[in-house]
Amino acid sequence: MQVTIVGNSAAALSALEGFRERDQTASVTLVSAEPVPAYSRVLLPYYLRRRLSYEGLFIRQMSDYARLRVATEFGARVERVDPATCELELADGRRLGFDRLLLATGSSPARPPIPGLDGPGIHTLWTLDDATRLDSLFREGARVMVLGSGFVALQAAWAARQRGLQVIVVELLDQILPRVLDAAAARILHEQLLAYGVDVRTGTRTDGVETDHDGKVRVSTDGTGAFAVDAVIVATGARPNDGLLPECLEPGKPGIPVADTMETSVDGVFAAGDVTRGPTSAGGPREIHALWPTAVEQGRVAGANLAEAGVAYAGSLSMNVTEMFGLTVASLGRFVEDDGDDVFESRDLAGIRYLKLVSRAGVPVGAISLGDPEGAALLGRLRPFVRQRRLLPDLPTFLEGRDLGQRLVGRGAIKEKTPCA
Amino acid sequence: MRIVAVDPDSCVACRNCEYACAFRQSGDFDRRASHIRVNFYAEERACVPLTCMHCDDAWCLEVCPAAAISRDPETGAVQIDAARCAGCKMCLLACPFGNVHFDRTQGVSGKCDLCGGDPMCVRSCISGALRYIEADEAVDLRREVLDASLRRLLHLDKGEK
Repeated sequence: MQVTIVGNSAAALSALEGFRERDQTASVTLVSAEPVPAYSRVLLPYYLRRRLSYEGLFIRQMSDYARLRVATEFGARVERVDPATCELELADGRRLGFDRLLLATGSSPARPPIPGLDGPGIHTLWTLDDATRLDSLFREGARVMVLGSGFVALQAAWAARQRGLQVIVVELLDQILPRVLDAAAARILHEQLLAYGVDVRTGTRTDGVETDHDGKVRVSTDGTGAFAVDAVIVATGARPNDGLLPECLEPGKPGIPVADTMETSVDGVFAAGDVTRGPTSAGGPREIHALWPTAVEQGRVAGANLAEAGVAYAGSLSMNVTEMFGLTVASLGRFVEDDGDDVFESRDLAGIRYLKLVSRAGVPVGAISLGDPEGAALLGRLRPFVRQRRLLPDLPTFLEGRDLGQRLVGRGAIKEKTPCA
Repeated sequence: MRIVAVDPDSCVACRNCEYACAFRQSGDFDRRASHIRVNFYAEERACVPLTCMHCDDAWCLEVCPAAAISRDPETGAVQIDAARCAGCKMCLLACPFGNVHFDRTQGVSGKCDLCGGDPMCVRSCISGALRYIEADEAVDLRREVLDASLRRLLHLDKGEK
């Protein structure tokens, strides 16, 4: 049997390793458009911030692929999947056959509809090449504008600031990090950005971008006028790289829809990671959770099922954590309350500057923590409750770490080999 | 593999394990550097030391975006390579037990590594609450003990004896 994996990041690697745990004989090929072994996209801002070396970005060596006996086709771009002949068509004209296929093609930076965004001086922070290009532009005193205020945007802004650049962040919505924080937490982080000397403009639309003959980029916005900067970093979200096999898409909806087995609607074709629209732990319609942990989980399920293990995914739960501007920012699930939800909010709990737990009928559904790193650990302990929709023992008990009932369940996990997530 | 098994009924909350671990981690006795934490509940007269269980299916290890977490082939310990850790804190959010901690001075995550097979916390335990034993045995034992402690705690919470 020939198993072919397109992609070389979290989902592809988890699938590869999960598959090989169960099947040591099938022939496996991994195809990746980039010419290098796997590196960690989520760590690119850490490289720009000089927290990690270039070498530190790489998470697999060629010897790791050899150990898993996988044939690697690095630097090979797939143009199309032919489901009739079960072949991949590569840009160099070759065709690679498969019996089972995993599409773990990830996502790309979304391009907002702003005139002039394809000119010189406009950058993204998505690939290794992007990071090395930005690295050479990050000269002290240079002026950079970041469009968007998600994790990538703000981490790029932090890296630029750390390296002595002047930084302007422009966000269309009224708050920064709209997908990760509620308005109250966003306000605290916003103040922190200002304290670090970042010029933050929320509720600001970018009307157009022009690059001058002297290399300066002129950005015009509504309200606050025009800016002249040395570079613009576009970080306004991601869109799935879902174009290889149009047969498995639903009209008008981005992302490859997958079942809980990570199978697509096309026989023998699986998908995992950012490219998918998959089941969530909350039930309801499928969603795109383009997050590293979701990619790892989906990859693991896909890898198992490529080996016919019959594993079902319990659904993804959005979770985010990073440090920026000296604060640990973490959130989980649905952290904006609806009618009928209970909200616990604390403004200073052992160095956690903002802690919010949203629950419904005693079952936690989401949380935010801003400040001390221990807040991330607290959300970690909360995660199984959210995911499995379990009643939380009374809150003070949980906050003190006395949730023995949960630990008891967790201990059983060691022996029974159930995933601790 | 062997893990550090905890018997809360024997623990007297002397915190020697925390001091021993902190000293091993930092060369100092600041308990905040310890990877084992003793939760002490005065009212219930209960204390529960908590440390990494080196899960078979270790989610922290799988999810680390820096490939900084691996399993020691000798001891089976799930351990963090501080040189590879970028400090992203994904492992803190991944651990369902709160057993990964963040070292603010170095900016990296830290957790129990079983001291290479000779855990200092167990060595320094004065009451026999910590033992370094086979994981399977530990699970059965701890289930039993924890079932009992939990029942006792719940009764005490309700004001019953």
